[in-house]
Amino acid sequence: MTTHEEDWHQTGDVAHDQGRGDPFAAAVRSTRMPMIVSNPRRRDNPIVFVNDAFLTLTGYDRDEILGRNCRFLQGVDTDRESVDRIRDAVAREEPIQVDLLNYRKDGTPFWNALFVGPVHDDDGEVQFFFASQIDVTERVKAQQAVIRQNAIVEAQVRDRTRELEKALKVKEQALEEKTILLHEVDHRVKNNLTMIGSLLRLQMSAIEDTGLARTLEKMLERIGALATVHKTLHDSSDIRRFDLGTFARGLTGDVISASGRDDIEVIDRIEEVDVDPVQATALGLVLNELLTNTVKHGFTDGRSGRLGIELRPDEKEVVIEISDDGPGFDATAIPRDTLGRKLVERLSHQLGGTTKWTSSSEGTTSITRILSDPA
Amino acid sequence: MTRNTDRLQLLVIEDEALIVMDLEYMIETAGHRMVASAASVRSLEQLDPEMAVDMAFVDLQLAGGSSGLDAADYIREVWPDALIVFVTANAKALMPDIEKGHAVVPKPFTEHVILTTLLFLNEGIRTPPPKSTTPRDLVMNTVLERRLQLA
Repeated sequence: MTTHEEDWHQTGDVAHDQGRGDPFAAAVRSTRMPMIVSNPRRRDNPIVFVNDAFLTLTGYDRDEILGRNCRFLQGVDTDRESVDRIRDAVAREEPIQVDLLNYRKDGTPFWNALFVGPVHDDDGEVQFFFASQIDVTERVKAQQAVIRQNAIVEAQVRDRTRELEKALKVKEQALEEKTILLHEVDHRVKNNLTMIGSLLRLQMSAIEDTGLARTLEKMLERIGALATVHKTLHDSSDIRRFDLGTFARGLTGDVISASGRDDIEVIDRIEEVDVDPVQATALGLVLNELLTNTVKHGFTDGRSGRLGIELRPDEKEVVIEISDDGPGFDATAIPRDTLGRKLVERLSHQLGGTTKWTSSSEGTTSITRILSDPA
Repeated sequence: MTRNTDRLQLLVIEDEALIVMDLEYMIETAGHRMVASAASVRSLEQLDPEMAVDMAFVDLQLAGGSSGLDAADYIREVWPDALIVFVTANAKALMPDIEKGHAVVPKPFTEHVILTTLLFLNEGIRTPPPKSTTPRDLVMNTVLERRLQLA
């Protein structure tokens, strides 16, 4: 064994510069990859061979390196854990590959992709350690830049997420406040409508003139229709749409029931139609006028009969047909200047449509066409 | 104390004087009687507990920040047989608490709704089940439905 070592040394000592010896040794000497060999059987595992590429990489002279342990390449920022891993691998006589921050003679750092492996003899005894180095500073820097960049991006994402969460919370609070406010306004509107109704009723009870009382009663019915519009709007799940079908069905029931007539059968052909809430109040008043008029004039003298209400969408329009099977009337002869008639005409116009009457001995029908969404 | 069997004796718990007047007028129109009114729980507690009460119309938001739900608790304690009808502009929010009373009539109400409610409940109390149809706006809880033999 001693002979082997001596042989090797001879090669090293004599042929370091000239590149003599066997072709493998020559290749190791002249390769551009920095390489060293250390002898673990000497104290502190000193370097016993170093090639020119290693000298070029580190900036040291050969005589400054030979005989020293390779830890002289380490410096202040060298990772202790990586150094420990190398030492453990050497102690266990196992190969190891690790990126390590090393320093040149002039103090400049470089990232060293270090490979260290044991060289065994025929008996399996470790003779030397062989180490190769590659300067991977650029690669490590690029990796670190990527890691830094990722950290920055992650931090930005975290910040942005936090900002968004904060904004969302503010929005939720604002929405909650708005909901409370809307609820409060709804409550006040309902209370005020109740008070208006109460005022009118109390006034009515003090009036002896039946004509005047009848006028106030009509006002009460109209206010009742407004109240029903408001309730339908605010009790619906989506206050951006007005459920005209449900409203019309309810109002028809209310009007007939309030008339005290239990001999009027309703023929319900109401389809589900939503309209813009902007249309709701005017529509409610129109429907109220048409329904109260039909109940009043279509079933006179206690005549029982059928009241038809049809509601259907027709492209951008909504068509409302209210009919009775009464004796009919001369459509040209209806007084045009009653408030009810004016309300129907003006409000239908406001809703972007018209109301027309047809009458025959089979009965009377009003046909209202309005826009479901105002332009 | 002699009592007309068809005539209901009602309490009105409401802080708007105008609405109290209106309800009283409608109660009288229907042939019943408003025996007392109170604008707050405190003034409700001042009322004579000995008087006969068949039914109470109770608003939710009362004077002095008091609650119609507390009023209902008091009425149930003093007049356990009285029907409690909440009359409120807050019907939707009340629904979980409807068990503190028996029924809800939403504000704004029409005369028709109040009159038919009085008729319907009076029939239901005297000779259940009531003959007239259920007023559209009236919402009842299960206790009342059982009492009126509707369920």
